[in-house]
Amino acid sequence: MSEVLTRIDPMPAEPFAGRGVSVRQAPPMARFSLRARQAADLEKLLGVSVPQKIGTMQTGVMCLGPDEWLMLAPHGTKIADGAGLSLAVTEVSDRNVAILLEGPRAASVLAAGCALDFDKFDVGRATRTIFETVEIIIVREAAERFHVEVWRSFAPWLWTAFVTVAAE
Amino acid sequence: MILIHCPYCDEKRAELEFAYAGQAHIARPLDPSTLSDEEWETYLFIRNNPRGRHHERWRHIHGCGRFFNAVRDTVTDKFETTYKAGEPRK
Repeated sequence: MSEVLTRIDPMPAEPFAGRGVSVRQAPPMARFSLRARQAADLEKLLGVSVPQKIGTMQTGVMCLGPDEWLMLAPHGTKIADGAGLSLAVTEVSDRNVAILLEGPRAASVLAAGCALDFDKFDVGRATRTIFETVEIIIVREAAERFHVEVWRSFAPWLWTAFVTVAAE
Repeated sequence: MILIHCPYCDEKRAELEFAYAGQAHIARPLDPSTLSDEEWETYLFIRNNPRGRHHERWRHIHGCGRFFNAVRDTVTDKFETTYKAGEPRK
C-alpha cells in the first residue's frame, strides 16, 4: 500500500516565455461558486456589492449567469455558508486552476481558439466561453493580461495549446 | 460562424457556445394520467417540421447556462429573434 500521497501539478511550475506573451500558472486561490435568485442575498452574505450584468467582474466576484456568480479570493479564504439566506455557496477551489497570459500577444493567443471579439472585450469583463472544445472562463484583468480559469483535468491540454500558439 | 444573440447575456456569441434543445412551447400536460395513449404519444414524440419559421429552444451552455427560445428559419438557418424562456411566443 502506498503510504505517501503525492500531488501532481497539471501544469509545469515554470512560466513559458513565448513570442510577445508569457504563459504561467496562477498561484493557488480560493474559489466559491455562488448561486442566488436575488443578488441582494449575496450582498448580505459577502458585505460587498456584486455585479449584476452578466459577463462583468468587480471586487473578485464575477457574474456568470442570471443566478450564478464565481468568487476568487486569496488562498485559504473562508466565507460563511449563508444559512438562513436563499442562496447556495459551494467551495470549488480545487476544481479549477488558472493560467495567466500576459503580453502584447495575449489576446491573439486566446483568439487562436476562441471566437470572442477581444477588441470589444474590455478590462473588467469576465465570461464563460469555449476554447476549441474546452470550457473556460476568461477574465480581462488589464489590456494585456488575461486570467483563464479551467477545470483541472483540462489544464494540461489547455497549457499545451497556449504554449504552442505562444511560441509561434 | 453563426452568431446567436443570447437574451440573458444581451450579446451576440458564437454558435459553438450554444446547444439546440428541441421545439419550443411544448407544455407538459398537467395530469398525464388522464391522457389517452394517442395524446401522450403526441406530447412525447410528435413535432413540427416546418420549412421556414421554427420556434425552438436553445441553451447558452458554454456561457450563462440558460435556456431561451429562438425563431429560426429552417431554410436559411437565419435567427429571426431570440427571447427569454417564459415569454410568450413571438
